[in-house]
Amino acid sequence: MDYTQITADEQANMLGTVGVQSIDDLFEVIPPEIRYNDTLDLPPAMSELELQRGLQEMAGQNHGSHDMACFMGGGAYDHFYPVLIDQLISRGEYLTAYTPYQAEASQGSLQAFFEFQTQIARLTGLDLANASLYDGATAVAEAVLMSLGATRKSKVLVASTLHPDYRQVLKTYLSGHDAEIIELPAPQGRISAKAVTATLSDDTACLVIQSPNVYGLIEDWESYFAAAHEQGNVMTIAVFNPIACGLLKKPGECGADVAVGEGQPLGAPISLGGPYLGLFAAAEKFMRKMPGRLIGRTTDAQGRPCYCLTLQTREQHIRGAKATSNVCTNQGLLALRASMFITALGPQGLKDMAEQCYHKAHYLAERISQINGYSLKYEGPFFHEFVITCPKPASQIIKACQLKRILAGVDLAHPRMGGISGENDLLIAVTEKRTKHEMDALVEVLTEVTS
Amino acid sequence: MTAATTAKTIDPNANTDCSAQARSARPVEPLIFEKTVPGQRGIDLPPLDVSQYDIPDELRGESLPLPEIGAGEVMAHYTHLSNRNFSVDGNFYPLGSCTMKHNPRINEWGAALPGFSQLHPLQDDHLIQGALRLLYETRCFLQEIAGLPAVSLQPAAGAHGEFTALQVIRAYFEDHDQSQRRLVFATDNAHGTNPASCTMCGASVIAVKTVDGHTDLDDLKRLIDEHGAENVAAFMITNPNTAGLFDAYVSKIADVIHDAGAMLYVDGANMNAILGKTRPGDFGTDAMHYNTHKTFSTPHGCGGPGAGPIAVTEKLAPYLPLPQVVMDDDGSFRLEYDRPKSIGKVRSFIGQFSVLVRCWTYIAACGPEGLRNVAEKAVLNANYLAARLQHKYEMPFFNPGKGKFCAHEFVTVPRTLLDKGVTLVDIAKRMIDYNIHPPTMHWPVHDCLMVEPTETESKRTLDQFAEVMLQIADQIEKDPQSLADAPTDAVIHRADEVAAARQPVLVWKD
Repeated sequence: MDYTQITADEQANMLGTVGVQSIDDLFEVIPPEIRYNDTLDLPPAMSELELQRGLQEMAGQNHGSHDMACFMGGGAYDHFYPVLIDQLISRGEYLTAYTPYQAEASQGSLQAFFEFQTQIARLTGLDLANASLYDGATAVAEAVLMSLGATRKSKVLVASTLHPDYRQVLKTYLSGHDAEIIELPAPQGRISAKAVTATLSDDTACLVIQSPNVYGLIEDWESYFAAAHEQGNVMTIAVFNPIACGLLKKPGECGADVAVGEGQPLGAPISLGGPYLGLFAAAEKFMRKMPGRLIGRTTDAQGRPCYCLTLQTREQHIRGAKATSNVCTNQGLLALRASMFITALGPQGLKDMAEQCYHKAHYLAERISQINGYSLKYEGPFFHEFVITCPKPASQIIKACQLKRILAGVDLAHPRMGGISGENDLLIAVTEKRTKHEMDALVEVLTEVTS
Repeated sequence: MTAATTAKTIDPNANTDCSAQARSARPVEPLIFEKTVPGQRGIDLPPLDVSQYDIPDELRGESLPLPEIGAGEVMAHYTHLSNRNFSVDGNFYPLGSCTMKHNPRINEWGAALPGFSQLHPLQDDHLIQGALRLLYETRCFLQEIAGLPAVSLQPAAGAHGEFTALQVIRAYFEDHDQSQRRLVFATDNAHGTNPASCTMCGASVIAVKTVDGHTDLDDLKRLIDEHGAENVAAFMITNPNTAGLFDAYVSKIADVIHDAGAMLYVDGANMNAILGKTRPGDFGTDAMHYNTHKTFSTPHGCGGPGAGPIAVTEKLAPYLPLPQVVMDDDGSFRLEYDRPKSIGKVRSFIGQFSVLVRCWTYIAACGPEGLRNVAEKAVLNANYLAARLQHKYEMPFFNPGKGKFCAHEFVTVPRTLLDKGVTLVDIAKRMIDYNIHPPTMHWPVHDCLMVEPTETESKRTLDQFAEVMLQIADQIEKDPQSLADAPTDAVIHRADEVAAARQPVLVWKD
């Protein structure tokens, strides 16, 4: 089933209009020596019913948060989202529209993105936000590239507590540029004021700090960003979790110039890692240096408010090699999901969600650290994720829990997480979705594993 | 003309009367922020089932200044907004270079299955064998269609694929003691992402001339000599090119590039025209990207998400980003991280997984013959429309009498009509009155419309589009001023984009 709609009769008629005998005449331009005359080695076409069976079979071979209690985080979080998001987002008017280049035919998505920009600006406590980037990792890389251009300096200070994928992506993005990445050590799971002040220099372009960091710990953005601003002309980049903004201090409250983060927790399924949502907010002074699409409010010929893409001279389709970024296709539908999520939950719902994450995570951390042989690895304050040092390798604990239909957490020693910690260290995340019953069940399995 | 109802609701009887009476104002949809009612709640959470823990005051942030809306109002708001959008589902959307084909709903159904949508990206491989099998098969499909032996599913979009492939090429040259190869050539009609991706990679871009949309081979040779063959990393072309024409000399271009020791990169934006008819690997391509949201029917979603898998030759394969999905001898699948020559990661986790589920579903639905038919019908539809319109809309690259056909899209520069005193924008905006989304404008050449009907449109829709375009031509010939206020029958009249850029308002302030 290839979804074409031209019948043989229609085809004959159409070829006549063009003035050719056959379809092949239209492909004559392809020289014979590079024409492909075989049949592609692909499985034969499938009907929709066969596809349903095939997809269901492959989906049925997987286990995840739909049939196991998920305590995994590490940058992707199993949060609740209301059903109305899926219902609304599957409307073809959203699903099958293109980038809103034609304002008069795209007011729906333009207004929704304008609302999204405002919501993200308010969530982060910053002036502006763009209409999305690919994911949290590439948003960090784009922010750092912006800092190199804005400051004309070359040293990039990055907390070693930044998610390992984000650090690796940053490394890839900077590999062709005249820039040096300096990682700030974090012996106790968090970076220190001493390390920050000792490393800041006249060459520092930016300071990148994630909070809550990869171990779930809350970093002291406020004092580190203050130190950076004291140094002068250093762009402070906060890597944030949007759910934490419902409870904790927001990047803008802590002196961040730019806030970037993974928007997946805002109404996107975990979906094996994608598509996710790169969030990018900034202070007003960076407006013309920002990557990605921006929607502006304007008026139509009758003076009524309306919306359109704006400041496009920053973008690749106008500026080519001098664009602020190469990004074109973004994550529009995910931005819409996030906007709907924020709207449906409202400020109280977001606060409740953040507080429940906090309380439940602290309940579980307390329970686990009471089990013989298990201890909370770090002392600092945490939000909804924490590291437990186990009496056995985390990989074994995880396997044991799988048998009880529990995804116990993330093995920090695995290459998937860049091997950032010892083999006994298990990163556990608790969202509002986890029940006391599920947490008690995890505690029970962890207890059994050691006895 | 009598009223006709079609799947695409092209309205041949559109009200294009721009008298004050006809321009009755359509209601403005207030912003969500203007609808806030203090104390209102949409969706709530169950009560907390554990005790409360102390939250230190110094951690607490200020309250969120966000709107408070009830669930019914949430539905109403987003339903109203959706009614203010054109889409492939409801409109003819012939946006050149974007391949706005039908988005089959089986794709959406598959991606939403809990066994796909509820998987955490850091789970052990043995729990996600079905998902990894799907990724592995997608990889194999894309290798076969490209005629290239290796594919990475990592890139999030076409531009991200370009960036990734350029990094792969750079890593290859660095590994072969040719790190001086930092120049990338791109045709002067390249997609804007091509040069922008070069900049992102820290490479310099040199523009190569095109003649009638095609690469000027002499200019290419001259530039290679001028800059030194030993300094060239790659040449980025689009084939079929951005003028919607297949580059018949592509093998010669490849030879010239390979003789210089450089790589040929193919922007796969226009793959829809050649599926199963020719393969990039067979005409000398070293690296390319796909746009699954163009070629393989994954929905554009108001701008994204897409996916931009890249295909490369054997010698570039070791440098592909992490992780790579592989099949072991026992038939099990895993994500491979131990690839010492890899450029590393280009995004978090594994890729645009649920977009790739849709991509798999589409390719599986089509099968090999179906894919070939897709290319044939895409090219047929474009040539048919071009033939129907050429008498009123000049087409610089289309002349069937001389054997000059287009591929899956065509370019018109309607000079005669423009000379009557209308602008290209006038024409485009008038199309909106007929419920048609305007084609791509001013690209790849100034004052052009680039029309890509795609293979999934019916002949009836194509015919109605042709009728409308001829009607518009007629209006221009009779009274060019009548287009000046277009659109007059849309949810808004013409938006003032100049004012928007002059004094940008990017967020709402209460």
